[in-house]
Amino acid sequence: MIKIEKLEKVYKTEEVETTALNGIDLYVKEGEFVSIMGPSGCGKSTLLNVMGLLDKPESGSYKFIDTELLTLNDRERSNFRKRNMGFVFQNFNLIDELTVFENIELPLIYNKVPATERKKLVNEIIERMNIVNRSGHFPQQLSGGQQQRVAVARALVTKPKLVLADEPTGNLDSSHGNEVMELLCELNETGTTIVMVTHSSHDASFSNRIINLKDGHVISEKVNKSRNEELI
Amino acid sequence: MFRLNLKIALRNLWKNKTSSFINVIGLAIGLAACLMLLLYVTYEWNFDKQAKEAANVYTTMTNIEGDNRKISGTFEGSVTAFGPAIKAALPEVMYTARMDYGKENLIANGTNAFKCKSKFAETDIFKMYDYEFIQGSAKTALNNPNSILLTESTAKLLFGSTDVLNKVVRFKDKYDLNITAVIRDQAENSSNRFDYLMPWSFYESIDESAKSINWGNYSYITLFRLKENADLAAVNQKIMAVIKNNTRNDFQTQALFPLSKLHLYGKFEDGKSIGGAIEQIYLFVGLAFGILLIACINFMNMATAKSEKRAKEVGIKKTIGANRTSLIIQFLTESMVLTFIAVVIAIALLELSLPAFNHLLNINLGISYFNAASWTGILAIVLATGLIAGSYPAFYLSSFNPVQTLKRKIGSKGQWSVSLRQVLVVGQFCFAIILIVATLVIYRQIQYIKNRPVGFDINALVEIPQDGQLKGKYELFKNELLQSGAVSAMFQSSVSLSHHGSNFMDVAWEGMTKPTNTVLFNQVATTYDFIKTNGIKLTDGRDFSKNFASDSVGVLVSASAVKVFGYKNAVGKTMSAFGDKYHIIGVFDDYVWDSPYKSNNPMVVFFDPGRTGYITMRLNETNSLQSNIETITKITKGINPAFPVEVKFLNNLYLEKYNAEKTLGILSNLFGGLAIFVSCLGLFGLVAYSAEQRTKEFGVRKVLGASVANLMQLLSLSFLKMIAVAIVIAIPVSYYAMGKWLIKFEFHTDISWWIMPVAAVGTLLMALITVSFQAYKTAKANPVDALKYE
Ligand SMILES: Nc1ncnc2c1ncn2[C@@H]1O[C@H](COP(=O)(O)OP(=O)(O)OP(=O)(O)O)[C@@H](O)[C@H]1O
Ligand SMILES: [Mg+2]
Repeated sequence: MIKIEKLEKVYKTEEVETTALNGIDLYVKEGEFVSIMGPSGCGKSTLLNVMGLLDKPESGSYKFIDTELLTLNDRERSNFRKRNMGFVFQNFNLIDELTVFENIELPLIYNKVPATERKKLVNEIIERMNIVNRSGHFPQQLSGGQQQRVAVARALVTKPKLVLADEPTGNLDSSHGNEVMELLCELNETGTTIVMVTHSSHDASFSNRIINLKDGHVISEKVNKSRNEELI
Repeated sequence: MFRLNLKIALRNLWKNKTSSFINVIGLAIGLAACLMLLLYVTYEWNFDKQAKEAANVYTTMTNIEGDNRKISGTFEGSVTAFGPAIKAALPEVMYTARMDYGKENLIANGTNAFKCKSKFAETDIFKMYDYEFIQGSAKTALNNPNSILLTESTAKLLFGSTDVLNKVVRFKDKYDLNITAVIRDQAENSSNRFDYLMPWSFYESIDESAKSINWGNYSYITLFRLKENADLAAVNQKIMAVIKNNTRNDFQTQALFPLSKLHLYGKFEDGKSIGGAIEQIYLFVGLAFGILLIACINFMNMATAKSEKRAKEVGIKKTIGANRTSLIIQFLTESMVLTFIAVVIAIALLELSLPAFNHLLNINLGISYFNAASWTGILAIVLATGLIAGSYPAFYLSSFNPVQTLKRKIGSKGQWSVSLRQVLVVGQFCFAIILIVATLVIYRQIQYIKNRPVGFDINALVEIPQDGQLKGKYELFKNELLQSGAVSAMFQSSVSLSHHGSNFMDVAWEGMTKPTNTVLFNQVATTYDFIKTNGIKLTDGRDFSKNFASDSVGVLVSASAVKVFGYKNAVGKTMSAFGDKYHIIGVFDDYVWDSPYKSNNPMVVFFDPGRTGYITMRLNETNSLQSNIETITKITKGINPAFPVEVKFLNNLYLEKYNAEKTLGILSNLFGGLAIFVSCLGLFGLVAYSAEQRTKEFGVRKVLGASVANLMQLLSLSFLKMIAVAIVIAIPVSYYAMGKWLIKFEFHTDISWWIMPVAAVGTLLMALITVSFQAYKTAKANPVDALKYE
C-alpha cells in the first residue's frame, strides 16, 4: 500500500545541518502492522511525520496505493490526510478546551460527517474504548492511560486506512501501555494498516514486522514470525 | 463547526479569566470613551449645519483696521444699510435677513413674567433656517409688526401649553404682541438661538438706530443665502465695490463667511480665518482614536500572547484534518465575538455615563446625535479592531507546519530581538505619558490664569441689569439700598464690570503725532462711586465727585491708555473723543474685564447718567449674605415690580470666562486618566497572562530554591524595561509639544521642572504596582499547585 523510495530530509538551522532521513526505502503492505525502532535521534519521528504528510522531505518518492503524495499541494495534502490517516502521539495532543466527546468528534467535523451520524460514531467508539463515563470530562481530568485511549479513539473514529503512532506507550506504565497495544492490535485485526514508532521491544513484538533505523538509514528488517502465524 | 469553535473560544476565555476579562473590559472602556468623545465632536462638528440650506447661508464679518491699514481684528457684525444694498447689487444673493445679536428681555403672560432670549429678524430668516412649526407658518409668522413667534419651551413656560395662537404676550412690560407661531426648540448646537422671535419692522418702530439705514453702526448680524455654487471670493470682491460706492472714504471692509463654519473656524487673523475651536476638535478626535488604539493594542497583544499557546491547538487540528481556511475563520470568529461583546458593553457604559458627562460639560448629548453614517463608521471601527486583533493568530499561526507547532515554543527569539508586542506596549505608554504631561500642563495653565489677579476684590460684588423703572428711579433705588444697610456702595454703568469690548477708535490727545488714532479703545459710561464701589486701584487723581460740577466732562483712564497718550502726569491733561474734549481726573490700574488670557485694550471711563445698563453693588459684609440679597430683592421688586430680580455675583461671572478652557481641562483630565487606566489594564493583562503561562516554570524554580523576590523580579523586569523606554521617548516629545501649546497664550506658565519627573515616576509607579500585584500573587503560589498544572 505504501512505497517509499530514497526519501531524504535535512533540517537546516543556523549552526548545523542535520540529515534526519538519508535515503530511506520502505514499503508497507495493506493490513500490516509495522514497528520502527532505533536509537534516539535516528529519524523515526521525522519519518512518521513525512508519512503522515505533516512534514515535507527534500527528495524521494512516497506512493500511497499508486498515488504520488509528495507532489500534492497543501490543500490536497490536508484533504488526503483527513480522509486516510489517523495519528496517535506520545504526549496525546488532545485539545484542552474540548471534552473527550468533542475531541473525538472533531475529525468527523472536518470530514463533514452529518451531526447525527457523528454522534453515533463517537458513542460507538467511546463504548469500545471503555471510556463511556468519561465522555464529558476534559483531558486534564483524565489519567495518562485514559488520555491515550481518547487519542486512539480520535485517530480511529474516521476509520482511516493508515494509523501512525509515535511512541504511543511512551508516557504510560506497562499495564496501561498494554491496554493501548491491545487496542492497536484489535484495530489491525479489523484491517487497518498501522505504522508505529517505539523504543520498547515488548511493544514491537505485537507487530508483524520491525524496521530498524540508524542515522536516517534502514539498517535491518525483521519479520515477526509468531505474530504472522497468529494472523494466518 | 462554528459552534465548536465558539466553544473553544469561550472556554479559552474562561480558562484565563483575569486576562480575558481585562481584555474585553479594556476594549469596552476604550470604545466607550472613543464613542463619547466622538459624540461630543459630532455635536460640535454639526454646529449650524442642521438646515437643508445651511451650506448656502453666510454671515457678515467686519474687519477692524489698525496701524498701517493692517487688519487688527474681525468680528461678526454689520450695518443696517449693508443687507439691502448688497441684495440689490448682487444677483448671487437670494435672500438676506438682518437681525440683532439677541438679548435677555422680559416677556410676560399677565403676571407670569420671565427674562428670556429675544431676537428681532427679517422674515427671510425662514429661508435660511428650517424651523419646525407647531402652530402658524413661515408665511404668516412675522408679517405684522406686532406679531411674535415663540419656541415650544417658551410657550410652555408662559402658558403651560403650545396651543397659544393669537394669544397676547407683553414684551419689556411695554408692548403687547400677538402670538402668530410656535416652533420646536432649535438644536442646541446652533448659533442665533432665541426663545422668542419678533419682526424687524417692530424693532424699527421701537429703536431709532435700527430704523436708520446707515453705514456706521456695526450692531447687527446680517445673514445671506446665496445661490447654490456661488463663488464666495467673487461675491466678496463685488461687496467691496458696493461698500466703496456707498461710503465716503476708506471704510471698514466687510466680507461674507459661511455661517456653518463660524463656530469652528471663528479665529481670524488679518481678515482670514486661521482656525479656532476646530483645533480642539482635532485634539479630541486624536484623543478618541488614541484611546481606542490603546485598547486595540491591549487586545492585539493579548491575542498574540495567547497565540503561542494556541499554536498547539493549531497543530493538533491540522493533523486531524483542519485546513488553513477553517483555522483562519476560527480565529477571526473568535476575535469578532470578543469585539462584539466589548461593543455591547461599551454602548451600555456610554448610556450609563452620558448623564454625568453632560452634567460635567453642561451640554445635552444623546446617542441620537449619531446618524446612520456615524453608526456605519463605528461598525467599521469595530470590524477593523476585530480583524486586526484576530489577523495575527489567524494568518500567522495557521500558516505553521503542524510538526513545528506541536513541538511548542514557536519563534523563540534571541534576547535582543524586539517583538511587535514590545513595540506596541512602548508606544502605548508613550501616549499615556504624553497625556499625563499634557494634563498636568493644561491644569497648571488654567490655574495660572485663574490665579491671575483680576485687579480688584470681586467677592463682595453683585450686579443687576438696569431694567424698566431702575433707569428713571436710579437715585431713589440707590438711596433706599444704602439706607437699608445691605449695600455699602453702588454705581450704574453702561456695561457690566466683566464685559466684552465696547470698542471705539475716535480718540485724540495732546501732542499726538499720528493724523488719526489706530489703537482700539474700550469705553465705559458711569456716574458717581465707580472706584469707591469696585475698589479698582486708583494710581493718581480721584473718582467722580458731586463736589465738582466740571466732572461731567471728566474722564478716568486706565494706565495702558496713559501709555498710549504718552503722558507723564496724566491728571489735568485732556483728551478728546467723538470730537468732544475731556479732562482726565484720575488714572486707574488695568483690570481684567474681557478675556483673562490676553491683555485688554486701554480703557476710558466717561461720566454719563443717560447710558444705563447695569447696576453694580458692594455688599455690606457685616450682614449675612442671605439677608443682604433678600433686602436687595425686596427693594428692587418694590421699585421695578414688572421685572424678575436677577442678582448676579461677580465672582461667578468671572468664573464663566474660563468655560472654554474648563471643557478642555475636564476632557483632557477625564480621557487622559482613562487612557492611562486602559494602558495599565493592558499591562496587567499581559503580566497576568505571562504569569499564567509560566506557572509551571515558577513552580520548578521555587522547588529549586528561588525566593519570592527573585520570581517577582523575573516576571516584572522585562515589563518595567519597556516602560522605561517609553519614558525616554515620551518626555522630550511632550516637553516640545506642550511648550508649543503654551506660547499660544499671552499669559502662560512655564513647564515646571517637576512635571517631567512626576509624570515619569508616576507612570513607572503605576506600572510597578500593576505588575508586582500579579507577580506577587504568582510568586507566592504553592509550588505543588503550579507543578500539577498541565
Ligand atoms: N525541527 C528540527 N530542526 C532541526 N533538527 C531537527 C528538527 N527535528 C528533528 N531534528 C533532528 O533530526 C534528527 C531526527 O529527529 P527525530 O525526532 O526524527 O528523532 P527520533 O528518532 O524520533 O528520536 P527520539 O527517539 O528521541 O524521539 C535529530 O538529530 C534531531 O536533532
Ligand atoms: Mg521521536
